[in-house]
Amino acid sequence: MTDPHAALDQLDDAGFRALVRGWLRANYPPELRNPPHRLHLAAARPWYDRLAAQGWLAPGWPREHGGMGLSAARQMIMIEEFERHGCARLPDHGIVMVGPLLIQHGSEAQRARFLPKILSGDHIWCQGYSEPNAGSDLASLRTEAVLEGAHWVVNGQKTWTTLATDANWIFLLARTDKTARKQDGISFLLVPMDSPGISVRPIVNLELQDEFCEVFFDNVRVPRENLVGAVNRGWSMAKALLGFERIFLGSPRQSAYALARLRRLAEHVGVAEEAGFIERHTRLRLDLADHQALYEVFAARLRRGEVLGAEVSMLKLHQSELFQRITEAMLEIAGEAAGLLEPMAGNRDLHPSGLFIQARPTSIYGGSNEIQRNILARDVLRLPG
Amino acid sequence: MTTPIPLDDEAIRLLRDSAAAIAPPGGDFRRIRALRYHLPGIDPAVWRQIGELGWLGLRVAEAAGGAGLGVQALCALARELGAGLVPEPILAAAVIAPLLPPATLAAVLDGTRIILPAWQERANSLDAASASVLHDGRLSAHKVFVPMAACAHGFLVSTRDGLALLAADAEGVSLTTEPTQDGGHFGTLRATKALSTPVAGALGPALEEATLATAAYLLGVMDRVFALTLDYLRTREQFGRKIGSFQALQHRAADLHLQIELTRASIDAAAATLDAGASATVAACAVSRAKARAAEAALLVTRQAIQLHGGIAYTDEYDAGLFLRKAMVLANLHGSAALHRARYARLAPPEDADDD
Repeated sequence: MTDPHAALDQLDDAGFRALVRGWLRANYPPELRNPPHRLHLAAARPWYDRLAAQGWLAPGWPREHGGMGLSAARQMIMIEEFERHGCARLPDHGIVMVGPLLIQHGSEAQRARFLPKILSGDHIWCQGYSEPNAGSDLASLRTEAVLEGAHWVVNGQKTWTTLATDANWIFLLARTDKTARKQDGISFLLVPMDSPGISVRPIVNLELQDEFCEVFFDNVRVPRENLVGAVNRGWSMAKALLGFERIFLGSPRQSAYALARLRRLAEHVGVAEEAGFIERHTRLRLDLADHQALYEVFAARLRRGEVLGAEVSMLKLHQSELFQRITEAMLEIAGEAAGLLEPMAGNRDLHPSGLFIQARPTSIYGGSNEIQRNILARDVLRLPG
Repeated sequence: MTTPIPLDDEAIRLLRDSAAAIAPPGGDFRRIRALRYHLPGIDPAVWRQIGELGWLGLRVAEAAGGAGLGVQALCALARELGAGLVPEPILAAAVIAPLLPPATLAAVLDGTRIILPAWQERANSLDAASASVLHDGRLSAHKVFVPMAACAHGFLVSTRDGLALLAADAEGVSLTTEPTQDGGHFGTLRATKALSTPVAGALGPALEEATLATAAYLLGVMDRVFALTLDYLRTREQFGRKIGSFQALQHRAADLHLQIELTRASIDAAAATLDAGASATVAACAVSRAKARAAEAALLVTRQAIQLHGGIAYTDEYDAGLFLRKAMVLANLHGSAALHRARYARLAPPEDADDD
């Protein structure tokens, strides 16, 4: 079989970047640039299909599994170009989480069964991690799976399950040993969303979008072979999956986007030349520029093939709080329009309240900023527990 | 995103190692304490050692007898000096050395003569423009806030007619000093028709380097005082626990660490920008960014070092105060954070929204 990505290997980094950029210009659906909120599958489908047809859905997967087999450096370039173009995030849990999980820990049969379906877009995955009483303390999760003959019987509840209504599969962490230390009794299960006993209730978030859901499991019978890796080893697998992606929660893109909107808003409301605004705006610009410098330090380490340690928590912490401070400045200069539900003057770029609300969860998801500070204090600064 | 110019790692490592001779990592501050609040505020024997280490010629081309190293090396040295609170005005002397005439340079590089820049004429200013006059080899000048001026044998003075080299003991020269919080001093230099030698070149780029090096010195101050503070948090016990186990203090430490790392990234990026030969405007923006960050972060970190220690750090005997006082002086030297933010706002191109 010929390697469809062999031609990419002939390019240098600049050539590869130019190729990606050119391809996005020609192929990315223009109406989907910089969407104001996470797209549902129906809206994102044309983008998913175009990437699938190009063979670019899974940049990080090895080529023998249908991925592009790109180095960390090349993956960085792709992500930078996607962000730069304002590409929507796909319902990508299958690509980012399930694929790497199965490639590393799955059985041959699981890989053969699931990987092609992710690449074709037939299987759309959602993530069953958080529970009402297991958020920051995820390892205390209580959804349980009990082996009965050839099936795991699952009971419990997951929450904050992004786009569960769009997904036909869910990967979940379930407790399979209640007697062990809490991290040592958790397993990884793959479950079809149409299994009897699963019900989904969308949650309307502060953006008034039904982006995430609660998922209830009532005696859901899951075939035994749908457990990934070894029983009770799910926690360490889940933690390892967070490795490479953690840097992207610290990408300067959200803040850069918001800062450009702050500038436009200031011009629109007529404060752009006021000394007070210039001072505040300059502070934010400098914060962003220094954040970009710090992000580049970590990106360079990734490009050199280094594994990022706990220190990468800094990026997520700073990015999310900077993004929030920018939107707070937007709210303050917008006057009464800060309270408007819809964009000002019908212009999507002038929507301070929308961006302000959009910034709120960034300090919560992916490990709250309080958790990130705990990690920095304990694992980087070596402060006592 | 620009890729940083690869720097000469080996040269930087050697430089860092050599810094241990003057500012040993983890060394005590007896020498620094002994020198403070006295004139000239430096140790001449140490200065000669500094000359032997080649630091004064760090920015001088190899052909001219220097080390031919870049701004990244200068900043690496500055960080080490800051971590050791070294009072000798090495950075100020090193950035102007490439401007000095060959006859003067040799004695400067080997540490026999100390020449310092005297450029500032107004408080709180970055403006190297001058009202001083050089006419027929005679200099009339009024310069303020010359750090550690009392140790200098001469000054490189900016005038509206170009640079002038002035001997400290020339007729018509007077120097008065005011002590600074860190134990050093500012000099006010007056020259009235003093005999002086014209020097070719402009001070602007050297002042940008001095500004960035000041930021890097502050980074060293932060690194060292933060390490001191973390040690204290790890060992001090109250309520039967190590105080570093308290989450309120852990989170504050995490925030300080973040500010220190932002400062490091900002300085490294600026140094690479200068070494890459950026335009004056691009260089000024990068330097202002780094100095604004370093000034504000250094005051934050040193203040919090005092607070996190508690009462012990309010004693002069404990070292934390040395770092606070150093930050108080250097935060506004070569421009306060506010001054640099204003310069950045004036010079930086509008942000690119990448909306093509």
